Amino acid sequence: MRIGEFWGEFSKTRTGLVGLGLMLAFVLLGVFGGLLVPFRGASTHWRDIDYWRDNPLAAPPAWTNAFVAEKGAPSSVLDRFKLEKATRDDGVAIETFSFDYRFAYDRPPRDLVVRVPGSGLVPMTMTLERPDGLSAELYREQVDLSEGGENRVSVTRDCARAAIELVRSRDEALADSMNADLIEPVDVFFAKMGPGILEAPAALKGHYEIKIRALLVSPEFSVGKPSVVVSGRVSGILGTDAAKRDVFTGIVLGIRWALMIGLLGSAVTVVVGVFLGIVAAYFGGVLDWLLTRLYELVYFLPVLPFLIVTSAIFKPSIWVLIAIICAFFWTGSFKTVYGMTLQIREETFVEASRALGSGPWRIVLRHIAPILLPYSFASMALSVPAIIVYEASVSLIGLGDATIVSWGQILESALTQGAVINGLWWWVLPPGLMIALMGMSFAFLGTALDKILHPKLRTR
Amino acid sequence: MSDSSPSPGPGGIVLEVRDLAKEFVARKGRERVRAVDGMSFSLRRGEILGLVGESGCGKTTIGKLIMRLIEPSSGSIEVEGFRSGPRGGSGDLAYRRRVQMVFQDPYASMNPHFRIREVLEEPLLIHRLGKTRRERMAMAARVMEEVKMTPVADYLDRYPHMLSGGQRQRIAMARTLILRPSVIVADEPVSMIDLSTRAEILRLMKTIQEEMELSFIYITHDISTARYFADRIAVMYLGRIMEIGSQDEVIDRPVHPYTRALIEAVCEPVAGRARIARGPLAKGEIPSASDIPRGCRFHTRCMFAEEECSVLPEPELEDLGGGHLHACRRWREVAERA
Amino acid sequence: MGDTLRAGREPILSVRGLKLHYFTSKGAVRAVDGISFDLYPGETLGLVGESGCGKSTAGSALLGMASTPGRIVEGSILVDGIEVVGMPERSLRRDLRWSEISMVFQGAMNSLTPVYTIGELMAETYREHAPKRARDAVARGGKAQGAPMSKYLRLVGLPDATLGRYPHELSGGMKQRVVIAMALFLEPKVVVMDEPTTALDVIVQAQILDLIKGLKRELGLSCVFITHDLATEAEIADRIMVMYAGRIAELGSSEDIFGNDPGKGSQGSRIGSLHPYTQKLLASTPRLHRRVSELAFIPGSPPDLIDPPVGCRFAPRCSFAKAKCLREEPPIAELGPGHLAACWKAMEDPEYERL
Repeated sequence: MRIGEFWGEFSKTRTGLVGLGLMLAFVLLGVFGGLLVPFRGASTHWRDIDYWRDNPLAAPPAWTNAFVAEKGAPSSVLDRFKLEKATRDDGVAIETFSFDYRFAYDRPPRDLVVRVPGSGLVPMTMTLERPDGLSAELYREQVDLSEGGENRVSVTRDCARAAIELVRSRDEALADSMNADLIEPVDVFFAKMGPGILEAPAALKGHYEIKIRALLVSPEFSVGKPSVVVSGRVSGILGTDAAKRDVFTGIVLGIRWALMIGLLGSAVTVVVGVFLGIVAAYFGGVLDWLLTRLYELVYFLPVLPFLIVTSAIFKPSIWVLIAIICAFFWTGSFKTVYGMTLQIREETFVEASRALGSGPWRIVLRHIAPILLPYSFASMALSVPAIIVYEASVSLIGLGDATIVSWGQILESALTQGAVINGLWWWVLPPGLMIALMGMSFAFLGTALDKILHPKLRTR
Repeated sequence: MSDSSPSPGPGGIVLEVRDLAKEFVARKGRERVRAVDGMSFSLRRGEILGLVGESGCGKTTIGKLIMRLIEPSSGSIEVEGFRSGPRGGSGDLAYRRRVQMVFQDPYASMNPHFRIREVLEEPLLIHRLGKTRRERMAMAARVMEEVKMTPVADYLDRYPHMLSGGQRQRIAMARTLILRPSVIVADEPVSMIDLSTRAEILRLMKTIQEEMELSFIYITHDISTARYFADRIAVMYLGRIMEIGSQDEVIDRPVHPYTRALIEAVCEPVAGRARIARGPLAKGEIPSASDIPRGCRFHTRCMFAEEECSVLPEPELEDLGGGHLHACRRWREVAERA
Repeated sequence: MGDTLRAGREPILSVRGLKLHYFTSKGAVRAVDGISFDLYPGETLGLVGESGCGKSTAGSALLGMASTPGRIVEGSILVDGIEVVGMPERSLRRDLRWSEISMVFQGAMNSLTPVYTIGELMAETYREHAPKRARDAVARGGKAQGAPMSKYLRLVGLPDATLGRYPHELSGGMKQRVVIAMALFLEPKVVVMDEPTTALDVIVQAQILDLIKGLKRELGLSCVFITHDLATEAEIADRIMVMYAGRIAELGSSEDIFGNDPGKGSQGSRIGSLHPYTQKLLASTPRLHRRVSELAFIPGSPPDLIDPPVGCRFAPRCSFAKAKCLREEPPIAELGPGHLAACWKAMEDPEYERL
């Protein structure tokens, strides 16, 4: 069938176009996704706790705000600041960085994390100026920054006392009743002052300013560009998981692995199956007998238990897993190709070619394989979903390759880290849905291809 | 043996078949089918031999044997003194260059995914003729002109399904010519083509045959076309030759009862036959080749058979003179009665 | 000869202006585009033409059968006075097919269901197409089948034991005889045979043709015999109708078409066929008993039946064609007693001999 003819027929199939569209979307996201995700370094740091430190833990997706009455502050990074440089009378340079934070929500973020890089011994103060005019001193320390170090201040972790002092400025008695270990500083800093601030804090909405004041006592000491990370109550497109990882990033990274596993697995599977099928059917004899016995053996071996056992014992990498899956899956295309080759072998044009003196390889490569090629593509597309699911299944029970970020891996961590119990639906549903979606798109594509390209009884 | 240009054997004989036999084993050894059961004949340069017979007579098998698509069970085939060698060797290729085949189904004999130029190129590539693409295309163009498929450029890029049956058969002929063979085996080349186009192809084959002094084995069930095309005719029955001779001799003066029956059975486009019965020509139908009758294999159907025909061993071909041979023990009595 | 057959008798089958078109996505293929002819009792009318001329379609149409996407769009078919065109499918099956007019299909001998015996197959035909007769026979205490089936098997030269055989146990010739018996045993008025001998060996072909001739004599069979081979047609047909591109090119008796054999005296000998197509067809048929140095062939190919040309459909390939032929379609005209042709040259050329 010629390309033009093929496209004409293909474009008429709705399922084919849907499948193709989805697959293209997946491929694009797979290739460029790394650039789109908010966390660029995620693929290498997926299991690096420090990388995700500033994220909120188990935060729902940001868009859930649309469905709740009390909207939580979403995660964001404040990287724009105003810098004021001044010099004290005694020659000490003072650098003041001001960050503006607009808080227009009902519930405050989980944390504010201030990072100040720099070098030397730098006394630093950080203050939070509230819209109601009150100002809280969050931090005052002389920070020892070795070469290229960074000072990290987490409001939740470090500013409990500062919160109590803020309250004390208005209500002494209340402040005395507060226990630094038990309060949430953010709940205080972002709430209206008043007696109910502990039991029922009301959000103080408006512009907040975070000021960082650094004293550079010596010309060798310096501070670099600070940043403020708002660790939101809601976060990102798909929220965060119990290890503070952005789920959306994980899903997008998973596309790459799914495509890789699916396409590589299906390509190898089909190539092996087609090659063996042609060889067995064309050459016949002992080779045929051997390969058919091999086919029968492999066909009847159950894949999943074998995978499970092997993974449990040998803890293989993803590549070995794919190889094992391929070693089982080639039987699918083998049988069909075997039958087709037997048929094509009897065609008059093959006979004519033999009469001319063609050797067997010429016939296989020039006459038989080209006829099988279109079917092979359909076969490839159709095996992708199953291969993806196999990998996911193996990962799910904890036997997959833990170094990769696949949807199966995400699902596994979700289940083992209590996503279901804790109702973290944004962690559990997306990977499963994605597996289904990718499987569906390849199934659509494969079915459409199959309908158009599948060999009819005659080869013409 | 070196693959030099074709050399006719003694007396200009290009093809010599001796005691050729082919037995097929079917149904896991329980059935033995003797498709070809001892055939000998020779073909001269520039001669057309028609192999005529009904279904099951082995004519297609003989074609495949000569083409080395299947191996004989016994006997030998020599083309210009070449006996074929093991598959794929230089002897094998040397043999195949000299013998080419035109198949019955003009569409099925070409890979539908090949363009015409690829169809014509294949033999050149196999036999390593024409070192560059241009050389090969020139050779392809030449044979296309020989079969009158012009303008050549119009057809080279087409696929077989874009051509009519007659055109495809021309391309098939071109494919046989491109290696400059000595012998062409044509297996029912026009039976799947429309009547009004048949003559075109037959005429073309005759023209090419004359111009290039090719030898033809023309296999058919239609003895009328054999009359038109062949110089000599061999009548086959159940894997053996019953009668062979010049076409005048065999058709106008048949000797063997089977030949007589065949000729009587042919319909002619003449008026007034609708109310005339032909009467019985032969009894029953062709027996299976797995159970060939004893004695003369035709005796079960022969209208002239007597006891001796089933009891005595099968008659060998007897020469009546002038190259007219037949295998009937009682031919004199038959000639009197008929 | 043809005249004596027809004198004073009514046709048993009468076709007028029959048109059967196949409605495909590319347009309507005018497979049969206006044919009219009669079949008289006891005669064999041969329908001859090359592939695509419409003969098989016309044959099937006679039984009211048009395989999708085909449909009879115009015309009338009278079988013993019964109008076939427009009859609903149920009536066709119950009252017309097999009981009034039956058919031996092309390749029928290979379509016998292998899991039933011949007897069972024939009984099924009986029940399907002559339910009333079958019921009557049962009511009379006999089996629904039996008598007529054995009779016809014997008529075609097969032993009664054939009833208990399966199709694969029979040879090609025997199967074809069974098929013929099945077409006859409900005693229809007309039998249509479509290439009944094409798949058979030459000698068996002769046997079957002899059989059909014998049946014609014994049963007074009226038969439409369809084939692409003029020689076979000459052997069996009293009158011959040559079709081309869905239309009738020529229709005449065996003598009209083939002429008297030259060499048997030239007194009163006629040229034979009048239509150039028939002549070319004849000239391209190889002869066994005459040495032919050159066979004729017809260059080009038949016209597209979706959009046939104006004018004579054979004109583009005809060596006698003139401007008029390409412009105007010649009507079918009687150019001799019972000899019709659709050709301007035949009509207007004074050189043609007429009796």
